[in-house]
Parts: sequence; structure tokens; C-alpha cells
Amino acid sequence: MKPFGYVAAIDSEHAVALLAEYGKGAKVLAGGTDLLADLKFSPHPPPDVVVDISRAADLKGIALTDAGLRLGAMVTHSEIVHSPLIAEAAPALAEAAVVIGAVQTRNLGTIGGNLITCVPSMDSGPTLLALDARVTVLGPRGRREMPLSELFVGPRRTSLAFDEILIEIVVPTQNLHKPAAFQKFGLRKGQALALVNAAASFWAPDGVFTEPRIALGAVAPTVIRAPKAEAYLTGRPVSEEAMAEAGRIAATEAKPITDFRASAEYRRDLVAVLVKRALAGAFGRVTPNQKDLAS
Amino acid sequence: MIVTLTVNGELRSASVPPETTLLVMLREHLHLTGAKTGCDVGDCGACTVIVDGLAVNACLMLAAQADGRTVTTIEGLATREGLHPLQKVFEETGALQCGFCGPGVIMTSKALLDHTPEPTPQEIRTALTGNLCRCTGYVKMIEGVQEAAAMMRSPQSPALAGQSPALAAPEQK
Amino acid sequence: MAQDLMDRELDVLDKERVAPVETLRRSDEALRLPAVAPPTALPLEPPLVPQVGEQTRAVGLRAQRPDSRNHGLGLTRYIDDIALPGMLFAKIKRAGIASARIKRIDTSRAEAMPGVCAVLVGSEIPVNSFGPSLQDQPLLAHPIVRHAGDGVAAVAAVTEQIAQAAIDAITVEYEPLPGVYDALEALKPESYKVHGGDTNVYASKVIKRGDVEAGFAQAYRIYEGRYYTPGIEHAPMEPFTSIADWDANGRLTIHASIGRITLARCDLARTLAIPISRIRVIGTVVGGNFGGKNEIRHEPVLALLAKKAGRPVKGRFNRVEEFVASTIRHAFHMDYKTGVTKDGRLIARQVRMVLDGGAYCSFSETTLGKACILSTGPYEIPNSLAEGYVVYTNKTTAGSMRGFGAPQVCFAYESQMDEIARDLGIDPVEIRLRNMFREGSMSSTGQVLHSVKVKESLENAVKKFGWEVQS
Repeated sequence: MKPFGYVAAIDSEHAVALLAEYGKGAKVLAGGTDLLADLKFSPHPPPDVVVDISRAADLKGIALTDAGLRLGAMVTHSEIVHSPLIAEAAPALAEAAVVIGAVQTRNLGTIGGNLITCVPSMDSGPTLLALDARVTVLGPRGRREMPLSELFVGPRRTSLAFDEILIEIVVPTQNLHKPAAFQKFGLRKGQALALVNAAASFWAPDGVFTEPRIALGAVAPTVIRAPKAEAYLTGRPVSEEAMAEAGRIAATEAKPITDFRASAEYRRDLVAVLVKRALAGAFGRVTPNQKDLAS
Repeated sequence: MIVTLTVNGELRSASVPPETTLLVMLREHLHLTGAKTGCDVGDCGACTVIVDGLAVNACLMLAAQADGRTVTTIEGLATREGLHPLQKVFEETGALQCGFCGPGVIMTSKALLDHTPEPTPQEIRTALTGNLCRCTGYVKMIEGVQEAAAMMRSPQSPALAGQSPALAAPEQK
Repeated sequence: MAQDLMDRELDVLDKERVAPVETLRRSDEALRLPAVAPPTALPLEPPLVPQVGEQTRAVGLRAQRPDSRNHGLGLTRYIDDIALPGMLFAKIKRAGIASARIKRIDTSRAEAMPGVCAVLVGSEIPVNSFGPSLQDQPLLAHPIVRHAGDGVAAVAAVTEQIAQAAIDAITVEYEPLPGVYDALEALKPESYKVHGGDTNVYASKVIKRGDVEAGFAQAYRIYEGRYYTPGIEHAPMEPFTSIADWDANGRLTIHASIGRITLARCDLARTLAIPISRIRVIGTVVGGNFGGKNEIRHEPVLALLAKKAGRPVKGRFNRVEEFVASTIRHAFHMDYKTGVTKDGRLIARQVRMVLDGGAYCSFSETTLGKACILSTGPYEIPNSLAEGYVVYTNKTTAGSMRGFGAPQVCFAYESQMDEIARDLGIDPVEIRLRNMFREGSMSSTGQVLHSVKVKESLENAVKKFGWEVQS
């Protein structure tokens, strides 16, 4: 690797102060699994300094707060996989975390890092989007909070300024226990980027799709929602046909590209299948009482 | 910068450039060459070591990130009394052919067995997704991990019993 | 007297110089105890290794490799685990362009960098060619680049990081040339000639038995098909790594993860223009070969760098170089034409194959030969004609890989066998049994075969995967 400096932040305030001090020459290291792999083969000049925020104490931890389920940005994928709190309140998050990379990378990689890297195929994005997650960033101008969707700008581009860091992700209280599921299709089951991934969530009072959310990855410049498919489902009785039709509509909303991993056509077909499966998976998490009403 | 680690129970320090990965520090500064450089981007798992109880790719971690932590490498598994059950079983099942992926596979498996003493074959497969092998294949490794798990669960470990103490005088013929 | 003297000498020896047997044994035992305990465990019980002359029942039993204990302990020293005192690190600049003429190389910035000990370019190499069969590969391309993985300059520096920085500081000006990137295109007369001359074909083979035309004339049906298998990288877990070290007497030692020591020494001796007796190659434990580590690759470059710098030099490929600058399996284009009788007996087969050899020869001839020999499959066919050609293209060099062409032709003839079986309505196992080699069969090369167990193997396999023969 090319030479660079290293400094570890003890907390988020320290991290922001360090970023202010080093300016654009600084690069934030969260888990490091993407950053280090990039730095090793990058033709570009290295950063002056890498600011390691993985040890910032206030960026850790999974907890229930007044606002909802709070994930510190430095929570690792493994912590999400093994969290009893997540298993209970938002199991789809664990479903998405367990298919990221492999054990070794999940032990290092963080949810914040995954979101900020902002590759279209990220596995953390769709489920959080489907649960209307909100994120908080911290910078020299203070904290600002926004919906997750506003963080994503384009491939490897976020709305974060160079001196800001993502500090937490919150799944709002009203969406805890909302039936949701995540689906991924890669060329292998493990250690593969998603050709397409998808997440869905909805409530099913009286067997009717209510507040449905469908999010897609790897089929657009960023992770996206599928509003037309959501609109189609809203108010419609829960049925397999409706789920399949929502998948077909979502496929028309996807804007996939052809690359060496798959063709756009193949990816679009995958969207239809994965959305249907995600909806079915979410329905599997609907409480028995709601299910009776739906059938 | 000075990085200090507890490696295999010993406190070790080295002065390394900040961009040094944990893998380079272990191999080139501490001369622990058991962890291997296979792909250097976290795909192959040949560099797997255990940091604070978790298996990680040493190539994707800066040495500085591991400062003050506890690191276990393949060199730290065997004791003077005998091999670790995984090492013993991998030898017996023929799970190591060219052996280049072996240290990584064994360390990943050890981290698995530390948390999951009774893994199912599927759990073993999931745990080993980050370890590539080109010669042996995975069947013998999965068998090996299962056998080692059984061995470690039984109080009278047959792997460790009946082994000649390391420093005993050679037998007279 | 002389005799007395001899006696006295013996007396002295007996009493003072020859230790009693007991003492000998004790000191021998003492020596076995290490003065300093090794970092981990001492070898415990010896691994179970069959002894010479001992009857073993190996088949169906677990086999233990004698080296697996060291592997499991992390004690095996692979090439990258070895460092020599004062060792430098080498990096090779890859062309990154598939077909070009080098107009100018500027190494001045690299040479001026602190820590850089030697810089090498193709134009200064006296014998700038090597190769296990045809010596058509340059150590460093000069002036023609024939594939993107060609080295164009090399640097030895005190760290790998400095060597990489120096490589990045070397600027190369290229004049792009036309290229050819498809084996069938390369056959055409108007195609770009990778090595000049009037053809890209650099090896061919024909194997003939009987008269295929007569066979086709008698056939009930004739099947024709084109089959293609792509190039494949060996992807060994251990990347190519070697160390070159000269001593003061001008003798070269190469430590390398390589499978063919003598071939390596021959090739090095020719390229470096020194007698083979002055070259020692120490093969280290190989971390995966699969045919990709059968020949020298960057070793002569390392040797020249080491000579320039006067220090040992280690070079190691990164994973990207493994893909672009090592060899791969040949991509095969195969045309199969097979004539069969009504009851599914193969009576004539004509095979024409074109191998994509990439930029250099490597083990292409061996691969072509084996592919042609095996192209008729394990089937007795009275009339056969196999023709094969290897062509140069501006792509990664194809070389030896497990089977030397056998898997590629197997894919073609077995695919066609299934097509024939389906078309004739014969069970796919049955059609194979009808045509299979048996005791005394003659292969397409005229070899009479003995101890033929193909039928038993197939029947066993059929039993194991539960295929019911429906004839």
C-alpha cells in the first residue's frame, strides 16, 4: 500500500474534529474491508491520513431508544446477525447482514461503512429503506437527521460533506415488528456481490396491504424504492397474485445495467422474482392473528 | 508507529508504518508466517487470524486497528502437550493437501467452535464461505470440523490422550 | 618397526579416540533434545506413512500426508515465508495494452528514488527470450508488446512499497498496433500476425486411423457440432513468488514455488547464458500448482535484477498479475463430425480443433498433442481423423493445466455422445457401453490397450448415481 498516516478517534466529536483538522486529505476508516482493498490497488494518490472511527465508543451499540431501534454506525454485520434485540424487533436486518461477505468480513465490516460506501449492490440498504430508517450525521455544523434515502446520491456518492460522519441509523418505533424480509441473489451463496437484492415490508390489518415498502439494490445508481409497485399493493387484499404482480411492476421500475456479472434483462427478471419472495417472506412474519384475516 | 498486540499469549510490539496491515505486521515484523497472503483483498481467507475472539481477514485490517488487542494465529494453537483437535483431525482426514489455505481454515473453524461447540454441517459451510481452497476441496474439511467438535465436547479427548509427551526420550529399539 | 608403529596407533585409537558404544548412544540422544524449544509443539507421534515394501490397503482408507502436520501447525515454509538477509523486492511494470510498440521508456524518475537498487528494461537484456518449448517469450517486452500482461520494466527496491512507487514512476510511450483477440480470427490470412511472419499457427498435429470418408459413406447418420471451452486461470492459493540470489563465484540460486526444477534450470541457463551447473533451483513447498507452476516466469528478470543490485531479490505476483501475467488453460474451438450406424456404433469421427494459445507458446504443443490423442474419447472408432492447430492471439498466454487439453475434448465428445443418444433414442449409458474401449481395443493412435477398465468404471458410476439403463 502507498504510505498514509493513521489516527484513531475516541468518539464521534473527536472524529469530526480530526476531519476538520485534516480536511480533504483525510479518509474515514470504519471496518476497513472496502477502504483497504481499494487503497491497495488504487492508482490515485493515497489519503494523507486515515481517521479510524471503528473504536469511537459512542458509535457502537444496538439499543432501543425513544425514537426507535438505534444502530451505532460502527455496529458490525456480525453484531447485527447475533443481536437478540434485532432478532425480535427487526429480523429482516439480520437476514440482510448475514449474506454480506463472509464471516471474517462481517466481523470487521460495519453497517455505517456499508451505507457510506454507497455501492448500488449494498446489502444493508434495501431492508433499512423498506423500514423507513432515518440516519443522523455529525459535522462541524452540528447534527442533522434525514431519511436514509436522502443519504444516497449515486454510485459511491452520498450527501455527506467531507467533514461529516454518519453516526447512527434508527428504525422508527412505529416500524419495529413490521413484517419485512430481505432477498439476495448472487453468483454464489457466500462471498458474492448481489446481482439483485430486494426487501419488502408491509402491515396486513384485515388482510390488506398497508404501508407497503419495496426497496431494490443493484438495479439503479443507488438503492431505490419501487413506488409504483407499492402504490399497486396499497389497499389490496394480500394474495400471491398481488405479490407476483408487484414484482412485475417493480421490474419495470428497475433501471439495471449489463455488466460482466449479469445482463440487464436477467437482472430485471430477478427483480420480479425477488420482490415476490420478499413480500412472501414478510407475510411469513405477519402475526398469526393478522394471517387469519388475510386468508 | 508502535503497535502492541498480545499475540498467542505474548505481548509483542513493533514499530511499523501506519499503512501496515495486521497480516504484514505478523508475517514480516513478528515473523509469524503461518497466516498466508493469498489474494490480499479479503476474498480467500488464507490470512485469517482471531482478534478478540473473532475470525478476521488480517489483510483487511490495519495493524493499528489491532493495537492493544489479543490476536491468535495458527502458531498459537498447539501446546506443548499436543495438537489442537482441529490440527489433529485435519491431519487424519487429509483435509490439508498443499496446505496453503489450511491455517486460515483452521483458524476460522476454531473461532466457530469457540462460539458453537456443536455446529451443523450447514453452519460449518456458512462459517467457511470466506475460506477458499483449490486442492483439497471442502468435504474433508467439513468432516474434520465435525470430528474435532465431537472430540472437544468429550471430556476424555482421544486426540490428546495417548500422545507421547513432547519432550519424552525417544523409544529404544 | 613399522608393524609396531601400526599396533601402537591402533591402541591409541582404541583407548582414547573411539568412544564406547554406550557413550555414543547417550550423546546421540542428548543431541535429539533441542537446546531451545521451538515456538510451538515438537513433532509428536510420527504421521502414519506406509513403509517401503509394506502392504497397505490405501484405497477407501484415509490417507495421511507426511507433510500435513507441518501444514496444520503453520510451520510449512512456503516461498513467501522465506526471506534472505539483505533481500530486495522486485515489481514488474505490466504493459496494460495488448498490442503495441514501445516507443520510449523513461525510468529516470524511478532510478532517482531513494531505496531503488536496480531498474531493468527489455532493451538491455542480452538474451531476451525464454520458454519451456519455443523460446518466444521476452523477459521484458522490447519493442513489441503482445499482451496486456507483458512486463515492460522491472525494479528492485528495499521494500515492495518503494518498488511499486518506482514502477508507477516509470513512463512508457506506446504506439498502439492492431491485434487479434479470437483464435478463429487469428487463422484468417488477413489477421494481424502476433509474432510477424505469415501465419499465427505455431503448432499443428494430425492423427489418422482408417479412412474417415469411407466411414462417413457407410454411416446411418452423421452428426456435426461445434463446441467451445473458455480459458481458465489456475488460481492457486499461493501466488507466484521467487527469490534470486547470486554468490560471489557467479553461481545463481533460485528459490521458487515451481514443479519442474531441471526444466527451469535449462531455461534459465539458456536465457542467462551461463552453464546449467552454475544454476541451482530450490523448489519450495508448492501452494497449489495445477500446471501453472511448471515453467519459469519472472525468475530470469529477478536474476538480472539481483545481479545488477548485488543483493538477493524476491518477486511476488499480486492476484491481478496471477490473472494477466501467468498462464491459463487453452480455450478450445472444436468441430466434431461423427458417423454412426443404426444401432449407435461410432464408425467414423473427424475432429478439427483450434486452440487459443495466447501471446506465447508455453506448453501449447504438449496440450495440443494430448488433446488430439484423446479427442476420439474412450471409444473404439475404426476411422478417425483429428487435426489440431494452436494460434497466437494478443491474449494471456495459455499453458499447461491439469489434463493438458483432455478436459476440453472430453466436454466435446461427451456432449456429442449425448446428442447422438437422444437422437437415436438410445440410453446414454447404453450407447457408451456399446462403443467403449475393451481389452485389446486399438486407440486412434494405433495403440493396443490392455487392462481396460472403462466399462467397469462406468457401470460402477451408474450404480452409484442410480441411473437405470433403459435400452
